Amino acid sequence: MTDGPGYHPMVQRLLDGELTLRDLPPELRAEGEAALRSILPGPESSAVGFSPWFEQRVMAAIRVRPRPQPRPRTVWGWLTEAREIRLRLRPKLLALGALAGVALLVLTLVSRPTTVAVAGAGAGADSVYVRFVLYAPKVSSVALAGSFNEWDPGRTPLAPAGETGVWTVTLPLPPGQHTYAFVIDGQRWLPDPAAPAVDDGFGHRNSVMTVTATGGHTS
Amino acid sequence: MRESAIALLLLSGVSTALHGQAATPARLEGRVTPAVAEAVRAIADSVARTGLPVGPLYRKALEGGAKGVPADRIIAAVGTVASQLAQAAKALRSEPVAHDTDAIEAGGYAINAGLSAGQVADLARGNRPPQAVAASLRSAGTLAALGVPPAQAVALVHQWIAAGRSPDQVLLLPQQLQAAMARGASPAQAANGIAHGGQPGASGDHPEPPSHAQDRSHRP
Repeated sequence: MTDGPGYHPMVQRLLDGELTLRDLPPELRAEGEAALRSILPGPESSAVGFSPWFEQRVMAAIRVRPRPQPRPRTVWGWLTEAREIRLRLRPKLLALGALAGVALLVLTLVSRPTTVAVAGAGAGADSVYVRFVLYAPKVSSVALAGSFNEWDPGRTPLAPAGETGVWTVTLPLPPGQHTYAFVIDGQRWLPDPAAPAVDDGFGHRNSVMTVTATGGHTS
Repeated sequence: MRESAIALLLLSGVSTALHGQAATPARLEGRVTPAVAEAVRAIADSVARTGLPVGPLYRKALEGGAKGVPADRIIAAVGTVASQLAQAAKALRSEPVAHDTDAIEAGGYAINAGLSAGQVADLARGNRPPQAVAASLRSAGTLAALGVPPAQAVALVHQWIAAGRSPDQVLLLPQQLQAAMARGASPAQAANGIAHGGQPGASGDHPEPPSHAQDRSHRP
């Protein structure tokens, strides 16, 4: 309970927050307003000041405190320094970039045998690892048959790359020229669309792969 | 005419083999019918007696078996390969050059791609090792397979040989042609462009064509 200097009990209750000015009878409202003004800071309240002596001590203490020196700039410091990065995403540019990426991937992979490495373990001393890639969606199996595997599709199946429709196999081939074809679902023979083809003597075409010490080439 | 004689010899060999019931070559067992295996063995025996390689014959039979080709067509295709090998060997032997079975096989490949026996002989001229001859024949054969007129293919390969290209570089000549064709040129146009040094995008792996080198030698 707030103790006022001889206020009326109802004014006391006003100061205690139990009543509002409206709750007071008209004859007590002036006393209530005066009581409130005496305890609440108003615009006329004077600013709190400090003595000049106190101010001087504080400022002296601040001047005496050593100023932090900037550390020499190092590469590590530059690398680990926090920076503000602002990224502005532009949907059209992002879509174009994604399209370009997909197009590049397809151009790289579709039906394009490519050399991936030069002879390693398991290959003959002169053999070169050659990767064959075929884009054939919605088929159950793809195999490779050619002069290098006795035209036996069972020896060289291609593996699917997930659900992308891309099939690949990598195998060591000796330098020279090889004829081959892909076998789709064990029945359909398909020459490599990315390679030159020659007559197979049976009314169809075989693809031609040239392997040199520098790799496999579809011509 | 001599090829016809070889073909007759081969067919008579086939007939003899079919009646003689000789052993089936192991590599054909289970891959072709016994009749085809015997016929191929007979052709191979005849070819081997003339010093020609028999590997291509067996491979052709295996290919036909894998593709499910009827027996008579497999035997005919094997006979064609034998004939092409014989033509290539004759052409190569007409030139005073060293050659081996690989060169003969390459000659057969070039003939299958459209080159004449005369063009095979033409490419074999010059004092070059068998490996280089084989590379020339395979390169010209692939150029022809890509659609370059055989005479133009032979001329282009000659041009590269004259410029001192290695056998591997000659083998990769068709790759440049394919690159030019991918940009819209016809096979003949692409070959002409390479011959005149006009092909764009030649990489470091593929040296400049001879015309470039010659032009440069005349510059101050």
